[in-house]
Amino acid sequence: MSGAWLPLATLATSLLASLIIFALPEHRHSIRTTVNILAATLKLALVAAMTWGVFQGRFYGISYEMLPGVRFVLRADAVAMLFAGLSALLWLFTTLYAVGYLEGSPNRSRFFGFFSLCVASTLGIALAGNLFTFFLFYEMLTLSTYPLVVHRGTPKALRAGRQYIIYTLGGGAVLLLGVVLLYQLEGDLAFRETGHLMGSDPARYPALIGIFALLVAGLGVKAALVPLHGWLPTAMVAPAPVSALLHAVAVVKAGAFGIVRVVYDIYGIDFAASLGVLEPLAWVAAFTVIYGSLRALWQSDLKRRLAFSTVSQIAYIVLGISLFGPLGTVGGLVHLLHQGIMKVTLFFCAGNYAETLGVHRVDELDGAGPRMPLTSLAFTVAAFGMIGIPPLAGFVTKWMLGRGALAADMAWVIPVLLLSSLLNALYFLPIVYRLWFRPLRGDWPAERALGRLETHALLLWPPVFTAVLTVLVGVLAAAPFSPLAWADLVALRMYLP
Amino acid sequence: MSSLLMAGLLFTPLAWAVLCLLLAFRAARLASVIGMLLQMALSLALWAWVAEQGGFFYHLGGWAPPLGIGLRVDGLAVTFVLLTALVGAACGLHAGLYLDPSRPWQRYFWPLFWMLWAGLNAVWLAGDLFNLYVGLELITLAAVGLVVLGGAAPALEAALRYLFAALIGSLAYLLGVALLYAEFGSLSLVGVGEGAGSASPAASFALLIMLFGLAVKAALFPGHTWLPPAHGIARAPVSALLSGLVVKAAFYVAARVWLELGPALEAAVVGVLLGVAGSAAVCWGSWQALRQPQLKLVVAWSSVAQIGYLFLLFPLSHGVPEAVSLQAQQGVTLQVISHALAKSAMFLAAGNLILSVRSKRVEALAGVSRYLPLSLFSFGLAGVSLMGMPPSGGFAAKWLLLQASLASGQWWWAAVLLVGGLLAAAYVFRIYRASFQEVEESDPFYHPPRSLEIIPLVLALLALGLGLVAEPVLSVLGLPFGGEVLSP
Amino acid sequence: MSWAFSAAVLLPLLAASLVATGSTRFLLWRLLPWLPLPALLLATQVRDASVDIPWLMLGARWQLDTLRSPFLLAASLLWGGAGLYARAVLEGAERERWFLSSWCLALAGNLWLIVAGDAVGFYAGFALMTFAAWGLVVHADSPRALWAGKVYIAMAVLGELALLAGLLLASELAGGSVLLAEMATALGRSQQPGLALGLLLTGFGVKAGLPLLHFWLPLAHPVAPTPASAVLSGAMIKAGLLGWLVVLPLGLTSLPAWGTMVMALGLIALLGAALRGIWTREAKTVLAWSSISQMGLATLMLGAVLVEPALWWLVSGWFGLFVLHHGLAKGALFLSVGLSLPGAPVARGLALLVVALPALSVIGLPLTSGEAVKRWLKDSVSGDLAGAVPWQPWLPHLLSLSTLLTLLLLLRWWWLLRSGDGSTAVATLPWVAWLLLAALSLGLPLYAPILL
Repeated sequence: MSGAWLPLATLATSLLASLIIFALPEHRHSIRTTVNILAATLKLALVAAMTWGVFQGRFYGISYEMLPGVRFVLRADAVAMLFAGLSALLWLFTTLYAVGYLEGSPNRSRFFGFFSLCVASTLGIALAGNLFTFFLFYEMLTLSTYPLVVHRGTPKALRAGRQYIIYTLGGGAVLLLGVVLLYQLEGDLAFRETGHLMGSDPARYPALIGIFALLVAGLGVKAALVPLHGWLPTAMVAPAPVSALLHAVAVVKAGAFGIVRVVYDIYGIDFAASLGVLEPLAWVAAFTVIYGSLRALWQSDLKRRLAFSTVSQIAYIVLGISLFGPLGTVGGLVHLLHQGIMKVTLFFCAGNYAETLGVHRVDELDGAGPRMPLTSLAFTVAAFGMIGIPPLAGFVTKWMLGRGALAADMAWVIPVLLLSSLLNALYFLPIVYRLWFRPLRGDWPAERALGRLETHALLLWPPVFTAVLTVLVGVLAAAPFSPLAWADLVALRMYLP
Repeated sequence: MSSLLMAGLLFTPLAWAVLCLLLAFRAARLASVIGMLLQMALSLALWAWVAEQGGFFYHLGGWAPPLGIGLRVDGLAVTFVLLTALVGAACGLHAGLYLDPSRPWQRYFWPLFWMLWAGLNAVWLAGDLFNLYVGLELITLAAVGLVVLGGAAPALEAALRYLFAALIGSLAYLLGVALLYAEFGSLSLVGVGEGAGSASPAASFALLIMLFGLAVKAALFPGHTWLPPAHGIARAPVSALLSGLVVKAAFYVAARVWLELGPALEAAVVGVLLGVAGSAAVCWGSWQALRQPQLKLVVAWSSVAQIGYLFLLFPLSHGVPEAVSLQAQQGVTLQVISHALAKSAMFLAAGNLILSVRSKRVEALAGVSRYLPLSLFSFGLAGVSLMGMPPSGGFAAKWLLLQASLASGQWWWAAVLLVGGLLAAAYVFRIYRASFQEVEESDPFYHPPRSLEIIPLVLALLALGLGLVAEPVLSVLGLPFGGEVLSP
Repeated sequence: MSWAFSAAVLLPLLAASLVATGSTRFLLWRLLPWLPLPALLLATQVRDASVDIPWLMLGARWQLDTLRSPFLLAASLLWGGAGLYARAVLEGAERERWFLSSWCLALAGNLWLIVAGDAVGFYAGFALMTFAAWGLVVHADSPRALWAGKVYIAMAVLGELALLAGLLLASELAGGSVLLAEMATALGRSQQPGLALGLLLTGFGVKAGLPLLHFWLPLAHPVAPTPASAVLSGAMIKAGLLGWLVVLPLGLTSLPAWGTMVMALGLIALLGAALRGIWTREAKTVLAWSSISQMGLATLMLGAVLVEPALWWLVSGWFGLFVLHHGLAKGALFLSVGLSLPGAPVARGLALLVVALPALSVIGLPLTSGEAVKRWLKDSVSGDLAGAVPWQPWLPHLLSLSTLLTLLLLLRWWWLLRSGDGSTAVATLPWVAWLLLAALSLGLPLYAPILL
């Protein structure tokens, strides 16, 4: 099998990094950082090479029988590269950020070890070629994130970890049940573009609907669909790079990506539409979009507000998936990337405020703009992106989703989009307002001098870069190899058998 | 070639047992290391032989049954022999470092350890019911002795309790064997299986009473009460041996008897009863594990729960299509292997942790994650397998059992499997949670030698990796519990 | 050609990014009046141009035509003049970085939306301008400014949302195209353009101060620093009008109901705002109300075109004339509010007379551009709408009434200006800026037919 080594090498990069980091003693900081950054860069290069190959129509994959009748399959297809590209790219930034963020704090060996493991799992999720393999990495992700969530070891962090694990393991069990039932019924778990359940016996339709519900419920926990979202806002006690990982790079994305796989590559969008499962999914997603935004409005803790915003934004992806038609697909898929880029920026900035100024609450942000102009600029750009202001990333998503909704004859989605944009504006603009237009009230809660710049350089540049990306992916949306162009490619391959 | 291997496997442990009885602790340790290497090599050689040539019957000393002893050497048996060598060697090496040679009675560890090993190999390879009994008795006596090594009065009490339970089990089994011999005139498993063409009350009763006895020995709920005290009080390497291997021996015998006799005797009710007991064990064991204040008791109760899964074999292999039964057998086999590896790893790691924090309590683990990451890591990896999370062997087993239960239409066992996994997660994560707590800035812990920490890590990694190579492993097992090829 | 468009938009953006580095502020202030220069050159040197850039956003297009040219001309002149004024009065003042960045970004947005031929570019420029102008509105940092900022941003967000929905629907009708021209055509062909029309009218109406959507305007325009008020009322308000003109199906189909409604709204704005403005107490607020009133004129004309499509080919030039006239004149009027009048009575009286000149033009006295605007409007709506609008016969009278009201309104403004404090030291540079805009407002529209 040609091209087997590339997916394996991609996985191995971070797996190996993880093992090396675990083996390194706690005080070997510079070696650890070097390994981290080398692995991240190498992985990005590998993913880029693979993306180019997939674009050219080359095949990368590996497969072997792991259990009787069940294969372990890694396969790089267009959707996989979408997610792999996102996580590889953002991993680099998040690693840099984390190095800066955790400087001088204990347990870094453990942190970076699991951090790499997390990304290895995410890459596995992206490259999984069947539902079984997907599940393997999905659960691996759950386990490797737990130590990160409880990293601080405070009672609050431990509580959050407990809630996280209850939700995700419960979801995992439901997902497993769905996978086993599907395997029992159809005997085939492979991901194929356009799906493979079309020819199923009509007598099995009710069972297939039930299985769909189980799969989506299982995946919906990570994707934080209401009412399965409870863990996400609690988990924001974790350090900022972990929040970035949870909200942008890996965890919630894994859930959303799983739903993409189930809808498109297992059921097939046509078949899913004819089963009538898309419409309820769209309703759940729409409700989540609104609910998340509404809850975000009332949060006074910055990271909590961002967390509820994630609940809402991830549902956009699901909403896009559930709109029958290539445009909706494009909107959903492209948001997979766009949301990641924007949300990672926001969490980086929130982390910077907390680390540099000791600010955690929205109402403490008064005057932070002039004090930390670049961070605040990045935050502002990302926030406007979230609201959906052109030409930023979020606008492209909303535009494609809106057109998808119209094309799918589900015009009721448009008011949902508008309402959520309004709510986004309502909870983001006051922050922007405080940042820039309010004078500083007294001293910062806990100001620290970190380097020559407004904050530690490793804390400053990652959000600035991702903010620039937020602009670029929107401004260059129609250019080749933009997220939008790639999502177009994916949709093309998904709708044309 | 094969005769050398067989003789080596059965007699070297006995020889080493005698040898070690004569030596002091350190000398016996040295001898044992050599013995373990030898056993390892023999087991690997036999495994490779069977993997290539297929299974066979072997007549000890060339005497055919009923006069001589017939050994059944099939894929399953050699896999378990290899597993025993692996886990036994790991526990032995660990014990050599872990046990305190200055205490005079600790030197008895080595003879007992080798007796246990001999008994285990005898059970895996035995081809007839009586030899199985002999092997079981050998195991029991050695195991009770090992528990007593725990030292204090509670250890003695727990050992006595264990001894009584095991004796009741043995007697019940022996009674069943006698009844079967009276009925069919044969003690060979194959002979009995062929004879039991139709249901006869005596044979049915024999089956029932044998299974009862074996269930008590395997600590199936509600006959489990002897296990937590015994496994909890014993020294860590001993607990690892007991939980990893000893209880599996009784289950192995039960499964062999069931697969030969069960279908013929139409004992569906018995199967379901055992399944229900197993399910209850899963729930009750996990629940108790969740509530134990002491680390080793958590692990011990977890064994009660994990053994419960094994007994799902009985309902899932009776009255179902051949393919489903096979799936169930494969699943349970994987569960045996992965639990043996994971649980021994967990006990060894728990032993290290207790050594380090100088307390048996779970709360004492606060800060362990920061200062003793390696021991905790082994413990955690073993926990992954116990929870049945991918890619561990526990997951592979769960996957196959889920398939079997859904394919047989007995979906309720699937519910047990899923709930059991979540409960396991609950008690495993309780330990993680305790260890992730941040307390002090300085390191208050004793750091055990690296080699002590490496051993459980290797076992845990094996348990974790088992799932990834489940297919090859299962293919060597061939058709487990049957389908053997006669030796030329 | 593309580079000329890019330069026009990118120069102010570049300037905005320079604000971050504090050391260049001196340079930036010097540069401020010249930032719209590439745009000015573009407006004067390029007649008809359309450049497609397929890789930009969702497929972008730069466009300049007879409709957009006067908008670009007026905007670049006004921003330039106001920039000069700003440099004179605000350099070294408090929060100057804040001002500079908001100014440059709003300028970039304003120019961008004018030359955008695609909806996304237009919308992007529109949003950039809107949000950057938020900074201008709240710049004073007083409770009043903050309140005005709140109302402003709330209405702006609502407008943006309506716009997003309207553009989406229009794009759907146009088969997914994001080009404004194709959207307009599709809206014209569509059987049921109602929802899209309504949303677009509302979305742009917020910016254009359409009645019921206007109430942020008298709050926000006056609180900004004087040069910012000038561009808010002179240039940015016109973005709403341009939005209507480029996306509505003008000259393509008759929409009597919509047209009548728009005309009615225009009339309400024209008369109501003038009337309401008379009762305010601040010169800049009076001017803000006057802006609403004047935008009513354009709204009225737009409604007329919606009713009678044939009218479009006759009056499309009118909008250009209106924009030049009102944009520059209103800019000059706002700037004059901040001018330091001489203390000496004679000089003061003279100065007051001079600053009233643009007001005369707005009122529409003969020989002024305002008069040309009004006459053209009167001719158009009274001739071609016969029968289409029931109250058509009243229109000339209502227009005359509006002239009267505007006269009163601007008298009120003059009165307020007159009663303001005098000062001894008269700064020259603001006067230069004012003079420039005033002269242009009086002169340029007269030559507009030749220029355009």
